[in-house]
Amino acid sequence: MLDLYAMREQFSQQQIMLCFNGPISRSLLEEIGNALRNYLAADHAHPSASMDVFAVYIEMTQNIRHYMTQRDWSEQDASATVVVSRDSDGRYVVSAGNLVELADGERLVSSIDALTGLDKSELKSLYKEQLRRPRGQASASGAGLGLIDIARKSSEPLQASLRPAEAGRAFFSLRAVI
Amino acid sequence: MIDLHIPATQSSPEIHSEHAQGRLVLRGDSYPENSYELFNQVFEWIEGFLAGQPRRALNLELHLLYLNTSSIKAMMEIFDLLQAAHDRQHPISVSWFYDARNERVAELAEEFKEDCSFPFDILVMERSTP
Repeated sequence: MLDLYAMREQFSQQQIMLCFNGPISRSLLEEIGNALRNYLAADHAHPSASMDVFAVYIEMTQNIRHYMTQRDWSEQDASATVVVSRDSDGRYVVSAGNLVELADGERLVSSIDALTGLDKSELKSLYKEQLRRPRGQASASGAGLGLIDIARKSSEPLQASLRPAEAGRAFFSLRAVI
Repeated sequence: MIDLHIPATQSSPEIHSEHAQGRLVLRGDSYPENSYELFNQVFEWIEGFLAGQPRRALNLELHLLYLNTSSIKAMMEIFDLLQAAHDRQHPISVSWFYDARNERVAELAEEFKEDCSFPFDILVMERSTP
C-alpha cells in the first residue's frame, strides 16, 4: 500500500510546494502554472521573485513539450516530472525532468555546462545574440533561448544531470535556484 | 483596414488596435506555446498601418506583464519593424506601463529599449489598471 504519511514527511522535509509527474498537456501546464502563482501569492513571495519562479517553470515545461513535439513522441512518452520547492535558505527551487534520446541529453547537458561558467553580463550578451538568431536555427545550437533565460533568472549555476534509461534513452533533470 | 480585437486568454494578452487613432494596445501575460501565430497578426497589422497613405504616427501602448522567451522574440521582431519605420522618418512611439511593485517588467522593457532609437517611455503606475 502507498505510504502517504511517508510521502507527506518527505514533502515537508524537502519543502515541496508543488509537484507533478505524468503526461503534461498544454492546458495542464497552464493550470499547474496558475496553481503555482496562487501558492506564491499565498506564500507572500515578492512579485519579482514570483514572476521569476513562474518564468522558469514555464520555460522548463514548454521546453519539454517542444522536445516531445519535435520527437513526435506519444502522449505516454510525453511525461514530465516537475517539482517546485524551497531550499534551506528559503530560496525557491524549480526542477524538471523528462526522458530524452541519450545523444540529445548529452548535448543538452554540455550546453548547460557551458552556461554555468558565465557571469550575468556574459549571459545577457549570449541571450541577445540568441534572440537575434533566425527562427529554426536557434534550436539547432542546443543552447536555446529558454535555457539562457533560466540561467539569467537563477541565483546559482544551473545543475543538469542525465541518468541512463531503457531503449537508448536517458532521464534528463534540470535544477534552478531562483 | 480591419482593427484587431483579440480578447486575452490565460496565456495570451488582449490585443486591441485603433487604426483611426494610430494606436495599438497589448495588455496582460504572454506565454503561448506558439507565440508566432498570435504575434503574426500584430505584425501584419503594423505593416499595413505603416504602408498607409498619408503617413500617420503610430503609438504602441504596452501593459504587458510576463513574457515567455518565444513572446520576447516576437516582440523583438515588432520593435525591429518599428525601428525600420522610424529610420524612414515615420513617427513611432512606444509607452510601456508597469506596476511599481514588479520591477521585472521594467527591466524587460529596458532591454528592448536598448536597441531602439525612437521615443520609448517606460512608465510606472502606482496601481495596475484593471
